[in-house]
Amino acid sequence: MTNKPILDIHNLNVVYETPSGPIVAIRDLALELNANEALGIIGESGCGKSTLSYAILDYLPSNARRSGSIMFNGEDLLLKTEKEMQNYRGDRIAMVYQNPYSALNPSLTIGEQLDEVTRIHRGFSRTQARKESIQSLQDLSLGEAEGIVRRYPHQVSGGIQQRICIAMALLCQPDIMILDEPTTALDVTTEASILDIIGELKERHRMSLIYISHDIGIVNKISDRIAVMYRGEIVELGPQEELFNHPKHPYTRALINCMPRAGVKKETTRLNTIPGYVTRRSADERGCPFASRCEKKNAVCEEKYGLREIESGHLAACDRAYATDVPDKSTFAPLIPKANARPGADQTDNASSGIEPGIGPAPLLELHEVYKYYKNRKRTVRALDGINAKIEKHDVLGLVGESGCGKSTMGHLVAGLLEPTKGNIHFDGKDISLTWKHRSRDTIRDIQLVFQNPGRSLNPSFSVEQILDRPIKKMLKIRSRRERRAVMINLLKKVDLGEEYLSRPSTRLSGGEKQRIAVARAFVTSPRLIVCDEPTSALDVSVQASVLNLLGELQEQSHTSYLFISHDLNVVNYISDHILVMYLGRVCEYGLRDEVVNPPYHPYTEALLSAAPDVNPSHKQKPIRLEGAPPDPSAQIVGCPFAGRCHKKIDGLCDTTPPPLKRLSETHYIFCHLSEDRLRGVAHL
Amino acid sequence: MTFFRPFFRRLGGMAITLIAMSILIFLLVELMPGDAAQRVLGQSATPQAVAALRESMGLNDPVWVRYGRWATGMLRGDLGTSLYMRGVPIASIFWRKVGNSLVLALLALLFYVPLSIVFGILAGVKAGKIIDSIISFFGLATMALPEFVSGIILMTIFAVKLAWFPITSVIPIGESIWSNLNILVLPALSITLVMFGYVSRMQRASMISVMNSDYIRSAILKGLPMRKVIFKHALKNALLPTITIIGMNMGWLFGGLIVVETLFGFPGLGSLTMSAVKTQDTPLIEVCVLFITAVFVVSTAITDLLYGFLNPRIRYPGGS
Repeated sequence: MTNKPILDIHNLNVVYETPSGPIVAIRDLALELNANEALGIIGESGCGKSTLSYAILDYLPSNARRSGSIMFNGEDLLLKTEKEMQNYRGDRIAMVYQNPYSALNPSLTIGEQLDEVTRIHRGFSRTQARKESIQSLQDLSLGEAEGIVRRYPHQVSGGIQQRICIAMALLCQPDIMILDEPTTALDVTTEASILDIIGELKERHRMSLIYISHDIGIVNKISDRIAVMYRGEIVELGPQEELFNHPKHPYTRALINCMPRAGVKKETTRLNTIPGYVTRRSADERGCPFASRCEKKNAVCEEKYGLREIESGHLAACDRAYATDVPDKSTFAPLIPKANARPGADQTDNASSGIEPGIGPAPLLELHEVYKYYKNRKRTVRALDGINAKIEKHDVLGLVGESGCGKSTMGHLVAGLLEPTKGNIHFDGKDISLTWKHRSRDTIRDIQLVFQNPGRSLNPSFSVEQILDRPIKKMLKIRSRRERRAVMINLLKKVDLGEEYLSRPSTRLSGGEKQRIAVARAFVTSPRLIVCDEPTSALDVSVQASVLNLLGELQEQSHTSYLFISHDLNVVNYISDHILVMYLGRVCEYGLRDEVVNPPYHPYTEALLSAAPDVNPSHKQKPIRLEGAPPDPSAQIVGCPFAGRCHKKIDGLCDTTPPPLKRLSETHYIFCHLSEDRLRGVAHL
Repeated sequence: MTFFRPFFRRLGGMAITLIAMSILIFLLVELMPGDAAQRVLGQSATPQAVAALRESMGLNDPVWVRYGRWATGMLRGDLGTSLYMRGVPIASIFWRKVGNSLVLALLALLFYVPLSIVFGILAGVKAGKIIDSIISFFGLATMALPEFVSGIILMTIFAVKLAWFPITSVIPIGESIWSNLNILVLPALSITLVMFGYVSRMQRASMISVMNSDYIRSAILKGLPMRKVIFKHALKNALLPTITIIGMNMGWLFGGLIVVETLFGFPGLGSLTMSAVKTQDTPLIEVCVLFITAVFVVSTAITDLLYGFLNPRIRYPGGS
């Protein structure tokens, strides 16, 4: 490795001029990126990670002012004109974005969008450029590249779209590739294979990478060094393993401890949360940016502050990391033991609900041979293909699977947003295979929903009071305004928000606050089942942790059951009592959480787990990569739907005969042809 | 085949709309006060003469019989005869006026479409800059002025002061519109003034939203020059809403120009409708209004199909 860095950022400041005064997005930032090095940048949203990458490429809003220097191969990018920058963008420094679907132009074919890169930067002819584009798609192991270039972006899947974006970034073999949350919108399995590709390409093209993510597990997989950003500053910087094993800055530690991860369960642990949220920084603010949220701050943090080398190559901006005058609650592998470890053993119940403690043999909800087909003229999509499942009383059922496996459809059926094509759903003995319009008021009251994106599920023109008032009026039939207000205040207290929130418009809430309001709304009717459809996927890790804690606590207090849908296995693992693994509208495996994941039995569960990014860097496992995507859900499948991608497929059996049900214990069953011994063997490999 | 299916479905919908509209128009016009036979013969006619004429015009038949007779006539291309100009077949004047209106509409399109799109794009790309403010102000001002005001201003400047064009747009008897093209310019300009603000604001808004999209960011950060970003990447998407707006206004442009045509005395469909209403010439009113409705329905349908054709997400439904 040469000792001259390819990118050398000095004293970089980015300031936005706003009518209410300047706001600092990046402050005095210094960073070096070496040739062929992968640098990960982590931090919550609003910490300036993306601003930094746009500052490098000079793509900032017109009210932004940059100062300092960004030396790229010995030239200062800050001094370049717009015209000169065009020669760097896409050629020497290329970028890949979070949402591949919106990053590609819907009106141009994929080929046109790829070709223009080499035509502009290399002056290639049309045919030359097309040849190059096809080659670059093939390099990303996209078979059938000739077909793909003729298609439009909406005609290929999200995983392929992102590979196309990466191929586009690689066309001119850039020196630096900046990846801004490139896998956040994708499935875990797709994410894993894209991360593999990125790592491999980095070596092949001797590129440098800047990898931005809020997900520590992912950054961990790919980076040589990691920088932690907070409010426009790098607060800690160090080699990957060193930073994870010995995080210095309280922010780094807090961030690491927010992540749910293998072995962290709700019974034993509350996730660490960071109080408060990322605030804007005015120009005259001094001292440690994290001080206001730091549990260890004292007077020193305001006066003496700066990035210092702690060990060789490991820099941190905190003197008080190991101070003992405040008890240290954030160490790695950490875990704050929970006060009430046993569920149900405590808590005098909230008076209004009248819910009996959920003990008893009959499950709360049962699905019998439920089918849901979406039909149009051309094809029939089998979203659910004969599902049997149940949710126990006072229990959390985690539902996992790749996108398109029918998770959300199942949630919608249970909540009554859709009606099953065939089969029955029983809730507490009653048949509720109807849409909400035909369900009784009691059933509607008993089954509530929390959605993925609170920003979109709350009416932006309503205040918190209006949002909560309607269900209280409609479902609880409380006439008196004062009584309703009392109910609301009580609800807000449950979700750790104060009375003052009632008058706030929902647009003025942070993402976490919005989701708390959405949770409060679901709890208005003291439901017995809440369908949580990816409730934390749109949130920052620290906010996710606090919402997960809240959901866990509320569930324990109110004896509600959850149907918890998530693509994030670590999250499901944290919150669930039982787990149901789905693939292509069918059940793969069902059981108690530990029976399903610890260790995994079904080959698909195994593959999903192996794809999930692990926060612990020393935890290296042999990865299992699923090739391709799940089969077309409109195709008629004989045999096991997973057979085509299974790494343990038995030829001539799995693809011809549907897998039989195997009971491994009272509570654990699995659909697989592998013998019980082999299944157990899977677990011990 | 599947490509044509929406086309056929659309055609069926159009037919139903037109039938429903024709019934509505017929009933409304029949409900107008006054007796057709009396109107033809004048106030001094004897009751016997009026009764005889009623009988011979078929006015004593039940309303659905009269509708049936009228509607089948329309389908055969028989537009009926004018009441006011007794005995003159409507077809002999109607199609000529439609032709005139068509020429005016095309010229107005030729003026305002490129103009408002170009300035809309300019304002959108330079949003917040001075040039944007100027364009937006001008657009708002012309939109706010009613066409009889802006028309009079145009007349005063170009016809009275400069004398470049005639004040009125009358075609001398015995001549066709093609030998009098200069009469079209002022009415077309006055339409342009009305439409410019509207369309350019649409274009500006859609340009701004497209320029803020992720794929434009991708295009810029690929290193494309701004010219390519705007014309290759942004325009194709930003034009779609504008095309819809222009298409939706075709009906108005064709038959709704009553004010403009009356102001300039232009012999088009608008002024024909106006005079038909003034003289209570029921058959003529029915023909005019039905035709304008048909233009609305057809142009909306064409716009929708065109939108589907220009938008690959509709042209090639998802194959993922």
